[in-house]
Amino acid sequence: MKAVGARLPRYDGMGHVTGHTRFVDDVRVPGMLWAKALRSPHHHAAIVHMDTSKAAAMPGVHTIVTWEDVPLLEYGHLSGLGIPADEPLLARDVVRYKGQPIALVAADDEETASAAAAAIEIEYEERPALLDVRLAFDEDAPKIHHWGNWYPHFEEEMDVRQIRKGNIDQAFEDADKIISGVYRSSAIEQAPVETQVGLAVPEPDGRLTIYSCTQALYFSLGVVAAHLEVPLNKVKIVGGTVGGGFGGKVDTATDTVIALAAQKTGRPVKWRWTREEEFLASSTRGPWHMEIIDAVTNDGWILGRKMLTLHDSGAYARFSPYGLTKHSFHHTGAYTIPNLHFDGYVVFTNRVPSTAMRGFGVTSISFAGETHMTRVANELGMDPYEIRLKNANRVGDTSPNRIRYTDPSTVDVVKAIANAEGRDLEPALAGMTRATRSGEMLPPHLVDQLDTSEGSH
Amino acid sequence: MAKHRGKGISAIEYPTGMNQNGDPSQAWIKVKPDGRVDVFSGTADIGNGAKTIQSQIVAEAIGVPYDWVTFDNSNTDSSPVCTGTFASRATFVGGNAVLKAAKEVKLKLLEAAGKEMEISPEDLEINDGEVSVKGSPSEKMGVDEVAGAAAYGHGVLITGTGAQLKPYSEITNSATGEVDSPPHSAISYAACAVEVEVDDETGEVLVLEMTQCYDVGRAINPALVEGQIQGGAMMGLGLGVLENSYPYYPSVDHRGAQYNSYMIPSPLDMPKVKTIIIENPSADGPYGAKGIGEMANNSQPPAIASAVQDAVGIWVTEIPITPEAVLKALEAKNAGDDSVRRDGKLVSFDEELSVNTVASGLSWSA
Amino acid sequence: MKLEVNGVNREVRSEPLTPLLDVLREELDVTSPKAGCHAGGCGACTVMVDGKPRRSCLIPVAAVDGASITTVEGLGTPKDPSAVQQSFIHHYAAQCGFCTPGMVVAATAYIDGGGSDDKDEIAKAISGHVCRCTGYTKILDAIAAATKQTEFDITIIAPDPTTVTIGGSE
Repeated sequence: MKAVGARLPRYDGMGHVTGHTRFVDDVRVPGMLWAKALRSPHHHAAIVHMDTSKAAAMPGVHTIVTWEDVPLLEYGHLSGLGIPADEPLLARDVVRYKGQPIALVAADDEETASAAAAAIEIEYEERPALLDVRLAFDEDAPKIHHWGNWYPHFEEEMDVRQIRKGNIDQAFEDADKIISGVYRSSAIEQAPVETQVGLAVPEPDGRLTIYSCTQALYFSLGVVAAHLEVPLNKVKIVGGTVGGGFGGKVDTATDTVIALAAQKTGRPVKWRWTREEEFLASSTRGPWHMEIIDAVTNDGWILGRKMLTLHDSGAYARFSPYGLTKHSFHHTGAYTIPNLHFDGYVVFTNRVPSTAMRGFGVTSISFAGETHMTRVANELGMDPYEIRLKNANRVGDTSPNRIRYTDPSTVDVVKAIANAEGRDLEPALAGMTRATRSGEMLPPHLVDQLDTSEGSH
Repeated sequence: MAKHRGKGISAIEYPTGMNQNGDPSQAWIKVKPDGRVDVFSGTADIGNGAKTIQSQIVAEAIGVPYDWVTFDNSNTDSSPVCTGTFASRATFVGGNAVLKAAKEVKLKLLEAAGKEMEISPEDLEINDGEVSVKGSPSEKMGVDEVAGAAAYGHGVLITGTGAQLKPYSEITNSATGEVDSPPHSAISYAACAVEVEVDDETGEVLVLEMTQCYDVGRAINPALVEGQIQGGAMMGLGLGVLENSYPYYPSVDHRGAQYNSYMIPSPLDMPKVKTIIIENPSADGPYGAKGIGEMANNSQPPAIASAVQDAVGIWVTEIPITPEAVLKALEAKNAGDDSVRRDGKLVSFDEELSVNTVASGLSWSA
Repeated sequence: MKLEVNGVNREVRSEPLTPLLDVLREELDVTSPKAGCHAGGCGACTVMVDGKPRRSCLIPVAAVDGASITTVEGLGTPKDPSAVQQSFIHHYAAQCGFCTPGMVVAATAYIDGGGSDDKDEIAKAISGHVCRCTGYTKILDAIAAATKQTEFDITIIAPDPTTVTIGGSE
């Protein structure tokens, strides 16, 4: 029997339906301590004083981990991509979002740990919060980050992610209509039913075993080892069975801090986030603000697109610069638009850091671009299928970042949907394929849609 | 006061794989003396089905039954590097790694069988756990016997390793965004049609039906593909009409802290979902597959926004499209304010949301 | 206090107000009920209390002293899975598997209570259960099928009548 193409049952299905699949919170080890965090109650504040001594002396409390215990306090998750570190594992002198972890208590049970976290003496000096990405550039905007209010480290230390292609001014001059719109997509919870959870177990040989709900075992291994400043063989991540992730378990939320607590106490330490923590303090899909201006002809060709994107990264960068880059590469969607002018900023605000979620960086532009597409069609009095098929990317066209499309299926999927919806397409559209453009589907502006702008290769 | 129906469509694309350090996934496989196959991969299963898909690829590539394959992704001691389960990469990138390892295992099995059967390995094939002579299927030997002979007769450990790596794509010109190579492993495509019903009294948007078409390259397991598409439809519905971490964004007030206050789709919210799977094999994917896990929730929100416009003639361009937003837009429309400025060839929507209206530190224009 | 858990009599030493969920998981090591929210919002901790589906996170253990508790482990085993469990496999109704124990208990209770294969009725019956993976479609399929049939082929997943597959266009 062929395995590929077959509707074979899930490898782990029997465990799932009988309740025997073992998730992290189901792992039991003797002598386990429970962890709870002290989190910032403020969106933005300086920590002017903190004293853990009384809390640490409470009966049943074994240790309190603070920034002072972390060998490498700030580690950039994507330092390999040139995105520098900006986020401390535990807050030191400033908190930049409500819910930011400041200290972790390990105690005999969760109640004791919670009580001790609440008993930590801490004094804040509240600062004004920046929440609207559009206001981040204003002179009187609160300053929230040592980088300023937006990310300044794209290639060649640019503070904006740019796409420039073709001749945008010519496109706007040649256009019959110039149609602009503003689109905003919300922050979303990944909301897996399994909340963030981890269990760190110190082994007799000096290693640490970490039972992790990570979506990326080696990624977490690298993050934990970097913060602890130990080689990769000192940590063993155990996982691979995750109760839903959707991007939210790419961040290493629990593993590093419990590793430190386990090291300090010599005892296994489990930290499981409550649903409230998961919803209020864990990272979200980031909100996006997008403005699109398309230069179009009356017969439905999109000659050029200008776009401004502000990605609300929350308090720290995490993966947001990567997400914005991906967004910029895909900002024409499934279409070929030869003249482009894109500016995108990763803007910091005093909300929980944004991170990956299903469709990272592109969900936003799929919404904005496709809603705009129908708007343009309506404005031109054109069928929404027709405008999509005409501008659909075809073999040999190039993307915003100058990659040649080799097997685009836009034409196929749009035709399949038209067919399913019982729409009769005109013969010229019904006969379209993905093949290289020719005839009436090759208007002058697409004859040579290789990059011709100055300053490019 | 009435309920109005409308339709909307969208077409989208999405990359497979991440652009980081070559986005590596690696795997290794060993064969037990009875021919059973142990796969060690670093790909986490977050529900997406990585364990299943990668096991199917290995079974197919070696030629043994699916239930001969043991899949271990349980820890970083025994499993090699895998960037992780994100970026729609588990099937394509992780799948290519196990495929390469499985091909190496197959070669070694054929070599061992060749010795046992005294025939050139090139003249042998493996199907369903049996090694047989091409064109002469009755001359055969079980993979279990071959593996036993390798372990106990030839002193050979049958293993295979596989490593998938894509060159890192550099932005060679930061002013233009030009890259030196693709920052993705493949691109997938999808389209979606939705029908909605909008209640002009309550503002509620009810999604009645979603038809979705995804080009998946090759469905390694069609049921798992359907699972991704149907689950994605639910998340797209949530994005389109329900979910918001900050219901009054940019305000941080009124965040939902529980499932009863954060609006998540329930079984009662789900519309009828129809799925069309297209298989246009990708050049580099395992058996032609490409990733669609993430994009499965990208196609619905714009189709919903367009369907709402089709139903009641308003554009709500902030998602989720809540009853409050619908009522506000309907009110404006009924007051004759369609929030469009027309000036020569310029047609300008949504100016009240623009940085040009709201901010003093940033402005832009056509 | 005493509980009969999956047919076995167990002594309970936890405090009387401890949620049944925590007693099962932390004291008795019955880990199939999952703690998704501890507030009655996700349904992952659903167990049967004297045959009725209940959210174990909302019930103080003292309120069910002496009751018979059935978790998903008690409905069937990997060697002998129940009809609902088989149907969940045959219809690909579990992805990450975290909501599945509660879902299977709710489905079993629905069918035990004479529930029909009407998908709207089934959706109502499981409407308090959050699944973030499947879009519920295949869960409804699995439960509907299990109202009519007691055995399913668990070596293969059923075809989905709402899917059409087409080959490449060129």
